[in-house]
Order: sequence, then structure tokens, then C-alpha cells
Amino acid sequence: MSSVSKYFSGLFTGIKSLLTGMGETWKELWTKKVTQQYPENRDTLVISDRFRCELTMPHDENNEHACTSCGICQMNCPNGTIRVTSKTIETEDGKKKKILDTYNWDLGMCTFCNLCVLTCPSDAIKFENTFENAVFTRDKLKQQLNHEGSKMREKKKEVKPVEPKAE
Amino acid sequence: MENIKKLIINTVPDAVIEDKQKLTVTVVPDKLHLLAKTFRDNAALPMDTLVYLIGVDRGEELGVNYLLCSSTDLSKEVVLKTGTTDRENPLLYSVTDLFETAHYNEREVFALLGIRFINNPDMRKFFLNGDWVGYPLRKDYDANPEINPVTLESKDIVDIAPRITETADGELVEDTVKIFEDDDYIINIGPQHPSTHGVMHFRTALDGEIVKKIDVHSGYIHRGIEKLSEGLTYPQILHFTDRLDYLSANINRHGLCMCVEKAAEIEVPERAQYIRTIMDELNRIDSHCLAWACQTNDLGATTAFIYGMREREVILDIFEKTCGGRLIINQNVVGGVMFDIYADFQKDVKAFIPYMRTKLVEYDRFFSHNVIGLGRMVSIGNLSKEDAISYAVTGPAGRGSGWSCDIRKHIPYALYDKVEFKEIIRTEGDSYARYLNRLDEIEESLHIIEQLIDNIPAGDICAKVKPILRLPEGEYYSRVEACRGEFGVFIESRGDKTPYRLKFRSPSMALVSAMPLICKNEKISDFIGIGGSMDYVIPDIDR
Amino acid sequence: MSLNYSQPLEISNLTSWLDAALRGCLAEFWVLLIEFVLVAVVLLAAYAVIALILIYAERKITAFFQARFGPNRVGKWGLLQSVADMIKILLKEIIKINRSDRFLFFVAPFFMIVASMLTFGAVPFGKGLHAIDFNIGVLYVTAVSSLGIIGVLLAGWSSNNKYSMIGAMRSGAQFVSYELSAGFALMTIVVLAGTMQFSAMIEGQRYCWNIFNGHISSIIAFVIYLISGHAETNRGPFDLPEAESELTAGYHTEYSGLQFGFFYLAEYLNMFIIASIATTVFLGGYMPIQVHGWEGFNQIMTYIPTYIWFFGKTAVLIFLSLWVRWSFPRLRIDQLLNLEWKYLLPINLVNILLMVILVLTGLTLTDLFPGLF
Repeated sequence: MSSVSKYFSGLFTGIKSLLTGMGETWKELWTKKVTQQYPENRDTLVISDRFRCELTMPHDENNEHACTSCGICQMNCPNGTIRVTSKTIETEDGKKKKILDTYNWDLGMCTFCNLCVLTCPSDAIKFENTFENAVFTRDKLKQQLNHEGSKMREKKKEVKPVEPKAE
Repeated sequence: MENIKKLIINTVPDAVIEDKQKLTVTVVPDKLHLLAKTFRDNAALPMDTLVYLIGVDRGEELGVNYLLCSSTDLSKEVVLKTGTTDRENPLLYSVTDLFETAHYNEREVFALLGIRFINNPDMRKFFLNGDWVGYPLRKDYDANPEINPVTLESKDIVDIAPRITETADGELVEDTVKIFEDDDYIINIGPQHPSTHGVMHFRTALDGEIVKKIDVHSGYIHRGIEKLSEGLTYPQILHFTDRLDYLSANINRHGLCMCVEKAAEIEVPERAQYIRTIMDELNRIDSHCLAWACQTNDLGATTAFIYGMREREVILDIFEKTCGGRLIINQNVVGGVMFDIYADFQKDVKAFIPYMRTKLVEYDRFFSHNVIGLGRMVSIGNLSKEDAISYAVTGPAGRGSGWSCDIRKHIPYALYDKVEFKEIIRTEGDSYARYLNRLDEIEESLHIIEQLIDNIPAGDICAKVKPILRLPEGEYYSRVEACRGEFGVFIESRGDKTPYRLKFRSPSMALVSAMPLICKNEKISDFIGIGGSMDYVIPDIDR
Repeated sequence: MSLNYSQPLEISNLTSWLDAALRGCLAEFWVLLIEFVLVAVVLLAAYAVIALILIYAERKITAFFQARFGPNRVGKWGLLQSVADMIKILLKEIIKINRSDRFLFFVAPFFMIVASMLTFGAVPFGKGLHAIDFNIGVLYVTAVSSLGIIGVLLAGWSSNNKYSMIGAMRSGAQFVSYELSAGFALMTIVVLAGTMQFSAMIEGQRYCWNIFNGHISSIIAFVIYLISGHAETNRGPFDLPEAESELTAGYHTEYSGLQFGFFYLAEYLNMFIIASIATTVFLGGYMPIQVHGWEGFNQIMTYIPTYIWFFGKTAVLIFLSLWVRWSFPRLRIDQLLNLEWKYLLPINLVNILLMVILVLTGLTLTDLFPGLF
């Protein structure tokens, strides 16, 4: 190709490519926007069930949970987000028994790796998809998961051998 | 392999050869360079790619492991080991003249283990400041924060590098080299800069608009993940992999899981393999969409950036529904996957495939032939195949230089030997080749997903794994094809539930190490554009 | 037929009424003084208001190009967003930079804003809405608008920042190059119109806009003017002096608060000025669409006030400029200079010659079809 025809063909293919690009943005101008308008769409917003936002300890209607305070979750937590403290009480039949005193979890430190839930032998904790967790101070991120005055559910009398589902 | 053994015996008769997971050769430090050179120049099967350079504190001695493989067949591997018992002033010979990628890796080993390399042209610490006290990866390291306090004072950057060279008559000379000339016009691109894709710091000497020299400073977000891992169990370490190259989180995790599974001889169920492969490929599309978006943004086309993000969002939604995470996916666990696919997973993915294809056409029309874009990409940032191999630049960038380096083809893992896909290779080696490679790889990934999505077998998603996982003593390697290139995991186990030494091979570090080479004599604007085409992720470098 | 400008919405009614009222009770000197001050205040206010509207419009339109909504939280549809931003900028501290050239650093934004202000004054917004109608309007606009580059260079130099310096240097090279093309493109039309006075030029485009009158040559000149005007305003794809992804913010990196606000305002106003000059010179300015012989149609068109015509045409051009800006990647400095010196300037030189031939041989539309146009 001679340099002159190169000059012009370069010019025209260049202009054509630019116009094609402009065509794409023009199309985009009229397509429906994908932005989600968050506070407005709160009612219709669907957050996937599995989305991990907040560690919770489900309590039933009798204010009972399933935590045996075995501390496996605390052991498995990679960065010490979970603190399980237990106390020893004496049951009616005179036996000493370790029960959960406090179950503390720090949202600010959690990496949401799900190891605690996976390894919990009694399925006492789970992640909820309640994602609106913004607070004003870091202290408020530290949560106690067991409710006030709650106690362990009694139906699982014998403690199962520690055998997590995976790992 | 017999030939290789013969070659070793011929070159270094007193080398110790072991048949472990990989063929392992232990030599004295003096002979290492010779052996590596013989391997590299071996005409029949050139072992010319340095995949890993791992510093290990073996207790009484400080050592280095080198994993070499052939650039023509990545599955032909050999491990070289050497070490020195001198813990006060450990010195080993550098292989930087054979494999350029060794340069930064040796500096990293110096920073973390204190081994200095003779003949490395620039023996500053990588990741750490020059005045850091102690060597973190040594087992006797004192992590007391008072020794290395956090200061708020600014420190001047010293552009003088120490080095040790061996003269012709075998004498060791310690001297310093100036990185820049006195009257260079140096600008600091980073650590806070819109286009470094993270906290990367390039000291850039300019001659007008033209880049004269680049000096890479890294480590602004070095978290010491390898050190942290030494105190954690294998399932716990998994969550760090997502935080290396966060854009290929799932694939990194796959790499570590594979390494542990291989070591513990765990059979991963078929269903889990399907899920892993599909998720990996979705992750790759996600990453390449973002890479496309960032590259165009670096070239000044901000609109394209949002388009790439929009398509990525669809994948992130699928991730969110599958495993409850968007960026940090947490899907793979040792033995399988953490979550089974959700009910509509197949439907969603099948809807995504044609959608993504239409968007690929849009990308193509919008940017791929744009005359300005072509001018900013074609013949810019040329990386030859030899350099790509020497710098161990893998992934779309390496394949853009004509090097077939796809681990999925060379060392198939998961289901990659069962699916049919093309390895995208271009020989131009410029920004545009890397750009097109990514778009084509999206198409190939879609093709892979298409083949798998309808055939996911029923069954377990996770194998039975002991609650407390101890790996048998030994050294384990695994290599996977992450979005930016080859991601590797090395575990040295001493039979504990925690690794003795764990090393991640980061693809981005190789990409960045090639930046000074390919940006030389380009314009400053193209330096940014080339950075976009290499698509490095900083947390991957600063492990 | 003469235009019926006595329609009620025209602002010239108001101005002539005001003039008459003032003259009725004051001496000529005082009338002029008051009128000068009034014009200045109105122009300043218009300057600020147009900038606010443009900033809002740009953000909104950009967003629509980018699959987003744009500002939609402050006020209905985010209408108050740019007002809020303005208040923020006014309240921000003006930071003093160590080891910078204080005086030049302080002066630089004024150069920018004064240059664009001076050009802004010469723009004919509508019939009677024309602050000053030089007989060399085109020349004046070209001359004055190039003052702004001094501000950019000074800002880059005085900031004591290497990024700013590179940005300013790029800007200098870019401005000097594209000023040529813009000037030549305007000259092409001056050849066609035979005048440099904006009002005369507009009057001459009553039935046939210059862009049609000179057909091929005019259209080429129009495109070249838009490109080089775009480049002169430092807006994408010619935003190398700012080059966000390379130079963070280029020449105004170190500026904050109101000083930054000046640069920001001037950038948007320059975009407006380029569009309005293009409107005036090529698209008939504030002149309503008129067709030879269609008296009824012409009458209806003139019922739409002239300033609406002006702003409407300008808005179309501004939209075009936004569309281009958000579709293309940024040029590199050598591509930029290539475009100017290898493509625009030679084409321009040939074009001006072509225009001379067209005019001399009577091949313009008005000459070819005198009854129609």
C-alpha cells in the first residue's frame, strides 16, 4: 500500500472504529440501568440465604441454645474472634457440669471463613444474612451471642463424639 | 527422568538425588549455579523456568529450594536444594544471571531469612525496610513489637543498593551501586496512586515523557502471611489464600487445598471437583472482566470500567448465592467444597453464558478496535518469549508472548483433562496481545463451564477429613492456573498440624518483576497502560 | 421579511425597557455606569449558574452512558448536588504548599478564570443578549481564550510538584498545537461569511447555516473545530494534562478549595464557550430556523425566544462533547500531536483553500440556489 492510501485508509478506519464505539455508548444510554438503589429498595432487596454477615446462636422459644461450650469454634478460629467462657455448675443429681457462661464474638475481627460453623459439633451457631451491621464505635461490634438467662437445650443429653462435618 | 539423573551425576557427582513428590537434588552451594546452568542449557529438555525460589530455615542450616521446570513441558520438574550452616553471615550464589525472576525472589529471601546472594546486582531487602531488625521467617525470630516499633516519622528512600560480587579470582567484594543517576528526574508512582492497583511504589526516572528506569518498592501491605501460616492449622490457613490475589480467590484456595489433599492423600469426590472447576472458571471470568475494565480505565476509558464491573456483578451474585461470599468466596475446603450448589445454580449459570457472550461482542465493538486504544496497546510493552520465560511471567501475559504456560493443559488438575478447551496463545508479546488473550480466555472459560454445567454428578461434596489434620513429613508442591498466571503452594511439613514452612508462589510478583524491562523507553502514559495489561494485584505480591 | 422580535418572552424587551427607564431619570454617564455594572453582574451570575448546570448535566449524562443513575440523593433527582458541591468547595481550606512559588501559585487560577470570563463576555446569547459585539469578534475570542494556558503553565510550575509540572507541560504542547487548528477552522468560516462580527455572521445565516452553506468544506471545518476545541478545553479523550490515571490530577493536583474551584469552573465554562462559538459560527447562533418563503413557519419559529435557540443548539453540541468524552480512551502525547500535525493541520490548510475556491467560484449553497436559501 502506498503511503498516501495508507494515510487515508488509516484515517477512515480510525474514524469508523471511533463511531462504532460511540454507537455502543449510545445504546447504553437507553438501556435499563443496573444500579440498585439501596435504602429505597430495602423491601424488595433479596440477600442470599447463605450470605455470611453476622454470627448468631439460634435460641428456641424456651430461650435455650445448643452450645455445649466445648470451645471447638474458639480453637478453630484463625484470628481469635470468638471467646467462649464457661462456668461449672452442680446439677440436681450432684454432678459437676460445664455450661456456657458467655459467648463473645467480635464482628470487627471476623474474617467470615465459616470454620466455626463448620466445626461446631452441636450446630449451635450459624451465620445470618442480616447485613446492616454498621455501628458507630468498635465496642458495639463486640457481641455476646447467648441471650441473657439462656441455657443449654437438654434433649441432647449425651455429648456426641467430636466429629465435625468437614475438616 | 533417568536422563536428568544422569545429567546430574555427570555434572555434580556428589549430588544427593531423592525421588520424593518431585525429583529432588541436594548440592553444596558452590555447585548450585553450575547445576542450574546445566539444567537451563540442556538441549534435550531445557529446565529453563524457575517456578519457585523458596528460602527455608531448616533448623541448623538456612537453605533455599529451587523448583525448575521445562518451558516446553511444565510438568517436567526438578527441585534443587542447597543450604548453608553459617547463620551469622549466610551467603549463597545467585542464579539471577540464569533466571531473571530470581532477582526479586532472592531479595525476598534476604529480607525474610537473611541469606545474601553473591552476584545478585541489587541486594536490598524486598518487602522490608533496610533497617528492619531480624529475619521474620527464621525460627528464632523475635517478634517483639518493641524491636521493630511502628514509627510515624518519614524515612527518606535511599537509592543505593549493596551487593556482593565475586571477582574472577574468587574473592568476594562488597560494594554499593547507585540505582539512579544524580540528576535523574524521578517521580514516585505510588504507593498512593490511582493506577498502581494497590499500594505499589514505582520509583520512576523520566527523560521528558519517557521512562528511563523503574525501581520497584514493594511491601506496603506485606502481612507476613507465610509467617502467620506457620502458627495455624491447614483449614485455618485456607482463609489467607483468598486474601492474596483477591480476584482469583477461589483458584488460590483450590491450590492450597490440592496441596494439602495430595499430602494427606485425600480423594476429592467427583461432585466437588465439578463444582470446583466451574467456580474456578467463573472466578477467572470475573477476574478477566475486571482486568479488562481496569486496563481500559488505565487507558482513560472510564466508561468501559463500569461495563466490566457490571458483568462481574452477575458472577458475584452467583458466588454470593452459592457460598455466601462475593469477593472472598470461601468455597474450597480440604477434601471438597464447603457449600453445595444452590437449586437454581445451573439455571443462573446457563443464563449467564449467553449474556456474557453478548457482552464480549460489546467489549469488542466498544474498545478492541478503537484507534486510540490500538495506538496505546499495539507494539507497546513488548515482552519476548525468552524474557517471559526468564522472568517466569505466566498467565495471559506469558501466553501473550507466545509461551504455552497454561497449567491446566500442562499439569491438568480437577477436571481440566476431561474438558475440551483451547489454550490462547499469541506471539506478539505486546499489551494488545495480553488484552485480547483475556477476552478470548473469557470465551474459553464459558466453553469449559458449558461442558460441565449439565453433567454435575450427584454425590458427596466433601470427603471425610480428620478433624485434626496432620500432614506426613515431607515437601509438597502444587501448581494451579490462577487468573494472572501460575499460583503455587509449597508446604514443608514436619508431621505437625501446622506447616513447618509454607510458601505461596505469586504470579503477580513475576509480572511486576518484568515491568522495569518492558516499560523501559516507553512513555509514562504507556507505563500505566502496560501495568493495566499485566494486571498485577498487589496483595498477591506482598504476601 | 423582518423578524418579529416583539414577542413577549424575548429578554431584549426587558433590557430596552430598563435602558429607557434609566435614561429617563439619569445622565448618560450614570446610565452607562449602571448598565456596565449590571451587565458584569449578570454575566458573572450566568457564568456561575451555567457552570453549576453543566456540572450537574455532565454527571447525569455520564452516569447514563455508564449504566448508572448519577447524583440522585441531594434534592429531587440530585438536582441540588452541584449546589452542595459548590458550598463544599467554598468552605474548604485553601492549603498552602511548602516550597511552592506562593505568588504564581495564587495568581494561576485567576488567569484561567479571567480568560474564560473574557471569552464568555463576547458570546452572543440571544438577540440583544450580547455584551459586546466587536467587529473582530472571532479574532477576539481566539486571542483571549488562549490566555488560559498561562494559568495552566503557571499552576504546574508553581506547585513544586513533578506531576503538576508534567501535566502543565503537556497542556502547553497541546494548547499551542490545537489553537492553530481551531483558529484555521474559524478562519475557514470567516472566508465564507465575509465578516468577523458575530452578529453579522448570525444575520448572514438566516436561511442557511454556515455548516450547510459551505457544504464539504464547512463540515470538515466544523468537525475540526469541535475536535480542537475539545482538545483546548483539556477534556477527554484529550485530558492528558489531568490524566487521572497517570498524573493523579495533573496541573491542579496541589490546589484545594476555591482555587481548585476556579480551575473546575473554567474547565466547564470553556466547554460551554467552545460549544457556543461553534453554535454561533456554524449553526446559526441564536437565529431560529428559517426557510425561504415559508412565512408562516418562520413566524412560528420566531415565537421561540432566540436565547432558547442558542442554548438548545449549544446543549446539543455539549452533549456531543460529553458523548465523545465518555466513549474514548485517552490519547498519548505523541498520538495527540500526531493527530494535530499529521491530520488536522494539513486537512485544515487544504480545507481553507477549498473554501476560498468555493466562495470565489460561487459554489456555496446560497450562490448555487439563490431562491432556496
